[in-house]
Amino acid sequence: MNKEERLIKRYKAEKRFQFYGKAAIFMALLFLLVFLTKIFSTGYTAFQKTWLVIPVNYNADLLYLDPDKKPTTEDINDADFYEFGIETFISLDPDASEDQIMELKKMFAFTFERELKYYLLDNLDSFGKTVDVKLTASDDLDQVFKGNYPRDIPENRRRASDYQLKIFDKLNEDGRVISEFNASFFTNADSREAELAGIASSFMGSLFSILVCLSIAFPVALLAAVYLEEFAPKNRFTDFIEVNINNLAAVPSIVFGLLGLGVLLAVFGLPRSTPLVGGITLSLMTLPTIIIAARASLKAVPPSIREAALAMGASRMQTTIHHTVPLALPGTLSGTIIGLAQALGETAPLILIGMVAFVNTIPGTPMDPAASLPVQIYIWAESAERGFVEKVSACIMVLLFFLIFMNLGAQLIRHKFEKKWN
Amino acid sequence: MNKIEAKNVDVYYGAKQALFDINMDIEANKVTALIGPSGCGKSTFLRCLNRMNDVIDICKVSGVVKINDYDINQKDTDVVRLREKVGMIFQKPNPFPKTIYENISYGPEIHGIAQSKSEMDNIVEESLRKAALWEEVKDRIHEPGTGLSGGQQQRLCIARTISIKPEVILMDEPCSALDPIATAQIEELIDELRKEHTIIIVTHSMSQAARVSQNTGFFHLGKLIEVGSTDKIFKNPTQQQTQDYITGRFG
Repeated sequence: MNKEERLIKRYKAEKRFQFYGKAAIFMALLFLLVFLTKIFSTGYTAFQKTWLVIPVNYNADLLYLDPDKKPTTEDINDADFYEFGIETFISLDPDASEDQIMELKKMFAFTFERELKYYLLDNLDSFGKTVDVKLTASDDLDQVFKGNYPRDIPENRRRASDYQLKIFDKLNEDGRVISEFNASFFTNADSREAELAGIASSFMGSLFSILVCLSIAFPVALLAAVYLEEFAPKNRFTDFIEVNINNLAAVPSIVFGLLGLGVLLAVFGLPRSTPLVGGITLSLMTLPTIIIAARASLKAVPPSIREAALAMGASRMQTTIHHTVPLALPGTLSGTIIGLAQALGETAPLILIGMVAFVNTIPGTPMDPAASLPVQIYIWAESAERGFVEKVSACIMVLLFFLIFMNLGAQLIRHKFEKKWN
Repeated sequence: MNKIEAKNVDVYYGAKQALFDINMDIEANKVTALIGPSGCGKSTFLRCLNRMNDVIDICKVSGVVKINDYDINQKDTDVVRLREKVGMIFQKPNPFPKTIYENISYGPEIHGIAQSKSEMDNIVEESLRKAALWEEVKDRIHEPGTGLSGGQQQRLCIARTISIKPEVILMDEPCSALDPIATAQIEELIDELRKEHTIIIVTHSMSQAARVSQNTGFFHLGKLIEVGSTDKIFKNPTQQQTQDYITGRFG
């Protein structure tokens, strides 16, 4: 082989090499695209909610109220809206049989009683009149309206019956089926009914857990890192600690869950299923991540800065607090945010400490039972109802949004507060 | 009068001995230059004088170093007070990544020298003037010190050091990272500073040692070969090794 041929071969090898690299990036982006497309196409419908607008006759007799007197709030609260609701549904199809009336009722979310009552409470002058009221459609009809539900399979294999679909189509023709932004997805706690289930409980649970995690893990990790890096003598014992911190970072998260279960719940008797316990467990998991990030940033502070301060007669503590730690803080903070983002997406340890429970109240403090976003995804993914499919994707979208938001924050801190020295 | 007296100083880095039985007296208000080939221990000796070797874990110092007749190598010596008296300028300019003002005010602040804002302003201005930097930076005193040129940064470090009025200033090759013009400025400054401070300067440049110092010590392989007035060392050394180094036969 002469020189010329060698050269051509080298050029070709280089081109091939670059092609492999590009192909690898293309593959990675393709996976990401498929993943995001799947989640968004499944999940975006969860942000819309289907309502059925039906004529309601707030007749005094039907409500067993005095027709001549304007009812007080108390009167309305005491009134029975169940029978009233059934009567209202019958008005959609006056010829309905007993079974069909039940089917009519199932076209609406079970909250119809509350919805009818609150409408009247908010509009007292509708008393005695017939008005259009917007009621939450059942999850089956919601899915039918969004086109997620096949209508052409045999009736005995689908949950919405032919009769329900007939009534629904008639309402639709009259423009009485509307779709609006699903605010209740963000304000409701979890529910067994897909059309009512929301992420408020799990969102607050996640928020409290992360706050507890941050307020424990950050100070402890920073102090540990500063001591190890700036003060501790370098000997076998500190080497041993260092190795163990690195090992701790590699421990599967479920092990920390077992620790939380065995120690926090069993020994200390802290309340089960609460963000407090979840946060402490997550902070154990996040601790090594932050320590490692903080130590790396402390190591990156040039020794000349420490020498400058020491030579000025600053004590070691002053050198550390005035110069080294502030310079290492941006790196530490971005490491902390990455650690918290990891903790935010963690499911396994939370399941072990009981944050997987069905919680239909919104927690007000870290001591109240709550779920968390990733656990909520897990719970909904296990549910059989078709309406939960889009909820799972929507919840993933919310979680992803926060993870991306946190990672962006980490990047921003790194770029903005990083001091340059020559 | 001797400001500093070093007696039988040995320094070890782990198992390796870096300095062998150094005995040296340093006169007050004079510039003493330490010369010698790379790795001969002159910087190590310099760092013995304000106990900066404490920072290095494996470094062990023995012997007596007396400053104003007080042995600084005692166990209960307060290094903070020692370094308040013995300042240090490093090879590479190392201003804090803060403003020019904050760079200088840091020392007086931690030692509680200034009582008020105006007093601090005075110290900052005086220090910058003494370091011949005031005219160049007076309009941007609240800008980062790291934005200055290399020579200006080194003079900023000098201003920072003299802000707490140390009796002794140690300089570890202060001009090695600077261009000839900046070097000339620093050398001029050193001559000015010796009126109020005792200066010990480590340098690689023999011409610099000859220009700025009154006394010179020659180190080789961890030993102090010869010490005396700069005139004598450069013109009439008693040791053959010194003669060889001065005339450029090795090093």
